[in-house]
Amino acid sequence: MHGASLSRWTMSYFAAACLFLILGQGMMAAGYGYPTVSTAAPETLALVHVVAIGWLSLLMAGALLQFVPVLISRQLVGGRFAPVVLALLVGGLLLLVSGFVALSGTANLPLGLLPLGGVVLLSGFALLAGVLAATLLAARPLGLPARFVALGVTALVATALLGTAFSLGLSGAVESPLLDTLVGEGIGLHAAFGLGGWLSLTAIGVSYRLFPMFLLAPETEKATSRAVWWSGAFALGLVAACLPLLLLAVAGADILLSLAALLTLALVLLYGHDAIGFYRARKRKQAELNIRASLAALAILAAATLLFLLPPVRAAAGENAAALVYLFVFGWLTGLGLSQLYKIVAFMTWLESYGPVLGRAPVPRVQDLVAERRAFVLFCLYYAAVGAATLSLFGGSAGLFRACVCVQLAATVALVNEFVRARRLSYVPAALRAPAGAVHPRLFLPTFAPRR
Amino acid sequence: MSDIREEIAPKEVDVRPILRSGGEPFQLIMEAVNGLAPGQSLKLLATFRPQPLFRVMASRGFDHEAREIGGGDWEVLFTPQAGAAGRVEVSAAAENPEAWPDPSEHLDLTDLDPPEPMVRILSAADALAPGQVLFALLTREPIFLFPELEKRGHQWVGNFDSTGTAYRILVRAGRPREI
Repeated sequence: MHGASLSRWTMSYFAAACLFLILGQGMMAAGYGYPTVSTAAPETLALVHVVAIGWLSLLMAGALLQFVPVLISRQLVGGRFAPVVLALLVGGLLLLVSGFVALSGTANLPLGLLPLGGVVLLSGFALLAGVLAATLLAARPLGLPARFVALGVTALVATALLGTAFSLGLSGAVESPLLDTLVGEGIGLHAAFGLGGWLSLTAIGVSYRLFPMFLLAPETEKATSRAVWWSGAFALGLVAACLPLLLLAVAGADILLSLAALLTLALVLLYGHDAIGFYRARKRKQAELNIRASLAALAILAAATLLFLLPPVRAAAGENAAALVYLFVFGWLTGLGLSQLYKIVAFMTWLESYGPVLGRAPVPRVQDLVAERRAFVLFCLYYAAVGAATLSLFGGSAGLFRACVCVQLAATVALVNEFVRARRLSYVPAALRAPAGAVHPRLFLPTFAPRR
Repeated sequence: MSDIREEIAPKEVDVRPILRSGGEPFQLIMEAVNGLAPGQSLKLLATFRPQPLFRVMASRGFDHEAREIGGGDWEVLFTPQAGAAGRVEVSAAAENPEAWPDPSEHLDLTDLDPPEPMVRILSAADALAPGQVLFALLTREPIFLFPELEKRGHQWVGNFDSTGTAYRILVRAGRPREI
C-alpha cells in the first residue's frame, strides 16, 4: 500500500530507549565507569553500551521503523519482525552488560555471557538491517534521505560484526592472534562506525526529510546535500580500509583516519549550511521547539568535530578524547534524539488517538498535546548540564562531573515525563480530549483492538 | 527523488496455471503491480489477450505491448509511461480514475500547516455522497492521509506537478462507514 501508517512497536522502542538513557546517566551519576576508571575498563564498556545500544540504537531503530516508510512513501517490508528485533536487542544488551560486569570481577558471573550477548545483539541488528534493506530495495530509485539510511545501516552491520568479534576475543571464547590485534587496535574503528556511520549519518539523513517537513520549507535535493552523502560514504570507506592495515600491521592507517576526520569536518559544515538553508526558507514563522532544540544539537556537532581536529584540545580532552566523545554523544546525538522525540511522540499519539475521528469531530491540534514553554526550560537545563559536564571532564574533576550528570539526569527524567504526559493527553483541554470514536493510546504498547 | 531511471528487469507474472484451473488472477496481478519498483515493467503471461486489463493498467500509467507466443498464449509487457509530472500514485481499490465524475469540490490547502490539510480532506471526503469526487492541492505528499482514506473506503489518485512543488489529489468517496 502507498503511504505510511503508524508503526505499532515504535513507542515500545522509545520507552525502552528512555529507560536505558536514564539508567546510563544514573550509572555515571553514581560514579560507575569513566572517569573513576579508565576508558577501556569493563565498567566503562558496560556504560558505553547501555547508552549507545540501549538508548541511541533503540531510539534510532524505533524511529526508522516509523520514518523509513515516510521517506519512501511505502509500507515497511517485514514490519512484523519489529517486536522480535526489540526483544533480541534488549536481551542481547542485558547479556552483554552482564558479560562486562563479569569481566570487571565485581560480580561472580560467567564470562560466557559476553560473547552470548554479542551474538544475540548481532542477530537483532542483522534482522533490523534485513527489514530496512528489504524495504529500501523495494523502493529504488531512492531519494537522498533514504540513501543516507542505507549508508547508516551498512555502518550498523560493520559495527555489530566488529563488536561481536570483540566479545569473542575479550571473553577468551575464541583464541586467535588476529582477534587479539583486532581487540587491541580496532576499538576506534568500532566507535567510528557506530557513532559516526550508523547513528550520525542516519540521523542526518532522516533530518533532511524532517527539517523541511516541520519548517514547511521546500524540499529540493541540493548539490551540497549530495556532497554530504559522498563525504560520509568516503569517510566510512577510509575507516573500513584501515581495518586490514591494522590487522596486518601495515603503516598508513593514521593518514587514512586523518583524511576521514577532515572529510567529516567538510560533511558537518555542508550539513550545517543545508540545515540553515531550510531554516531560512521556512514558511512557518516561529520554528517549533523540536527544531530549535535540534539546532542546538547541530551547533554542538560542529563544535565537537572542530575541537576534535585541534590536537591540543584533543590532548586536553582526556584519555581517548573522552570529554569530546561525551559532548558528541550527549550534546549532539542525545540532544537531537530528545528534541525529535518531543515532536514525534506528540505527533504519533495525535494520529493514533484522533486519526479515526479526523474530519468527523473537533480534535485538538498536535501542539495541544505538549507544553512548549515548560519543555523549553528543560532543554536549556539539559544542554547547560551537558556543557558543564564536558568542561568538568576537561578539568579532570570527577566530583564536579557527577554533580553535572545529576542535573542532566534530572532534566532528562523531566523531559521523559513530558513525553508521558503527551501520551496520556494530559495537556489536551478536557472538552477536546476524547471525542466519540477516539482511541485512548496505551503508554508504550500497541493497541491490538481492530479498528472498525 | 532523483530522476535517474535504473534499468530494472521486468517482474514476470504467469497467470496461465490459474486461468487453466478456472481461477481469477486479477487480485494476483494487482498485487504484483503494487509491488513494482518505480520504473519497473511487468511481464504478464496469459492464455488469452487480456483486453480488459489494458484499460486498468493504462489508468495506472502503464503502456502495453502484447504478442502471441504460440499455443494460443499471450505475453504482455506493461511499461510505465514516462511523463513530465511525477509518477501517479493510486489507491489499491481505485478503478478507472479517468472515468470518475468531475470534482464537485475544490480545496486549495497550500497555505495550511500539516496535519491540517489531512483533517480538511478527510472531513470533506466524509461529507461527499458515495461516488462524488473532490480535488485538493497541497504542498507535500500527504503520506499519512493515504492509509486513512483507504480505511474509510475512499479511493484516491494523486501526483506531484511537473515542478515538484504542488501535490494534486483526487478523492472519490466510497460507501459511508460506521465510525
